[in-house]
Amino acid sequence: MLTVKNLTHWYGKSEKPLYENVNLSFESDKVYTIVGSSGSGKTTFLSFIAGLDKPQKGDIFLDGTNIKKLGATNYRKHKVAIVFQQYNLLTYMSALDNIMTALSVTDSEHKGEKQYALDALKNVGIEKSDAEKNVQKLSGGQQQRVAIIRAMLVDANIVIADEPTGNLDGENSKMIIKLFQDLAHAHHKTVIIVTHDPEIADHGDVKISLENCQFVVA
Amino acid sequence: MNYLKRAMLYLTHKKGQSLLLLLIMSAILVFVLSGLIIQNAAVSATNSVTKSAGTTISVSANRNKMFSKMRSGTSKSKPKTITTPTVSNEKIKKAGKLNTVAYYNITNTASVNASSFDTVSTSTGTSGGGMGMKGGASAGDISIDGVSSTKLTSAFVSKTNKIVSGRNITTSDVNTKNVVIEKELATQNGIKVGDSMTVKMTSSGKKSLKLKVVGIYKAKSTSSSVPGSDPSNTIYTSYTLPATITGTEGKSSTVTYILENSAKEKATTKKIKRIINNSSFSVSSDDASYKQLLQPMKNVQSFAKKIVWLVAIAGTIILALIIILSVRTRQREIGVLVSLGESKFHIVAQLFSELFVILIGAMVVALLLGSFVGNKVGNQLLSQQQTTSVSTTSGSNGGPGGSGAPGSSQTGGGMRGGMATQSAGTTSAANKKTLKTLNTSITPSSVIKLGGMGLVIIALAVCVSAISILRLRPKDILIGE
Repeated sequence: MLTVKNLTHWYGKSEKPLYENVNLSFESDKVYTIVGSSGSGKTTFLSFIAGLDKPQKGDIFLDGTNIKKLGATNYRKHKVAIVFQQYNLLTYMSALDNIMTALSVTDSEHKGEKQYALDALKNVGIEKSDAEKNVQKLSGGQQQRVAIIRAMLVDANIVIADEPTGNLDGENSKMIIKLFQDLAHAHHKTVIIVTHDPEIADHGDVKISLENCQFVVA
Repeated sequence: MNYLKRAMLYLTHKKGQSLLLLLIMSAILVFVLSGLIIQNAAVSATNSVTKSAGTTISVSANRNKMFSKMRSGTSKSKPKTITTPTVSNEKIKKAGKLNTVAYYNITNTASVNASSFDTVSTSTGTSGGGMGMKGGASAGDISIDGVSSTKLTSAFVSKTNKIVSGRNITTSDVNTKNVVIEKELATQNGIKVGDSMTVKMTSSGKKSLKLKVVGIYKAKSTSSSVPGSDPSNTIYTSYTLPATITGTEGKSSTVTYILENSAKEKATTKKIKRIINNSSFSVSSDDASYKQLLQPMKNVQSFAKKIVWLVAIAGTIILALIIILSVRTRQREIGVLVSLGESKFHIVAQLFSELFVILIGAMVVALLLGSFVGNKVGNQLLSQQQTTSVSTTSGSNGGPGGSGAPGSSQTGGGMRGGMATQSAGTTSAANKKTLKTLNTSITPSSVIKLGGMGLVIIALAVCVSAISILRLRPKDILIGE
């Protein structure tokens, strides 16, 4: 379980905090959606729970251990997987190589298992021929699916997604949301999706709204 | 997939960028290698020059001592005479056996009068006389230059004198009356190789000596240092004959030692002094040719060193800038890897590995082109340096051959030293050798040095660019608010 305790953050010398004393808990097997308007600080919050940045105050605990103690690199490597709006795949590689790289870097259980990666890609509609193509030759929807498979196959229990459907059409968005739901419900991961789209937010098991510097659990 | 495989994937995917980096690094390494091989070549050439420049050590009469002796030891009634000191041939040979001595040339001179033939006379101005002046002057009208070998004398080495018929005087002519005469003298008197000619000594009851002609040489020079004398009147023979004429058998007045290794000059001079052990002689060394050959080498060496450093520093800066720019364009990739939990050390290691692979390729290119470029640049540099060296030394370059070999005439009141100085002076063959080319071959040590320098260059370039990688915050790269 991921627990946020008394998280307070403000930018630079700003007198008014972005949010103050935030206390939230994220459990496994659930999809959490955090919705808020642009500039509300939802992505900044995501960067804290993803271990990409540190809040001014407060702590984040993973199964009772402070992530500061785990170390940011170690936390990112073994505990959390991130899916970005811009897919953030390694552009000089194929879809398969991207996944193999993630498995290797995170020292995952299935490290080096090419067939395992190919099977997972096939499950989301990416055949071997496409999987071995340079990733830039795939469509946006395919690239995002690759990014999700990358997050799914690594051992991390927490999957954090930042506007994962932002660049996708309706059809592809639905497919991606389905994949996230599978990650939580079939693979028993904690999925936290940050979005400004209320429709996407409704697909989560728990919806958290960020309004007036307050996180409100619906 | 570890960082090494990622590095290979990156290089194969970004072919254009990799090729560009390869070209830049190749250019840097070609110049570094050229500098290294020029430097190596200059070092080995310097060593070779040190060994073969032919520094000479001359043992000759101490003129100051000779003259002061002459002034103090003669009575007012008698004419002042001067006796050229001599040293035993045994001592000369003993010194010649020193390990550092390559070879030596003994020179003795004497003057005699022509008897069975006419001397060659060159008329100048109103002096008249023309050809066919019969010998008989008190100082002798024929110069007998005794040498160990005519081949070793400066006049023959410099090709001022050249054998046109018969052979040279060699060490096998010791204790014989074999001579080599000038072509003009031979033609004028109808003398051929194998003929005999007679000379009369200027002292010892004007005894006649029958000489056997074994060779005829042609003298290019038409002037002699002895006024009124023609160079055609110089007869070369073994060093033993003038000693016989002057009554100093088994002794010689001048010897020149040519060293194996110029670096041993001081030590050898000391040893020779000790062996000769005669204060009437001065033992002097002449390493002008060594220094003359050495200076361009040193200049080339120093220039090559500067090339290596300059290119290495410039190369590091250029590569570092390129990598810094490349890191900027690869920020997202770095961010992705960081978000996956990759350590920044591994990201820097990937960058280093990419450059290392390019370095290997560049080294191959450098090894293929470096020798050619090094050869061209090195020899161009050498020829420039030698031109400079020659122009700065022209007019003063006498070389070892110019070292004095005073005559040994014991008759009359003067010394015949000038002609001997010009004609019988010994010169080393190496003196006439100028280093026209550098042996710019690639040695294993230059390949190792090149690899080492290449590694240092990429390591420094990666270190500089690593600063920007380490400062990168993944959140700033990957998540825009």
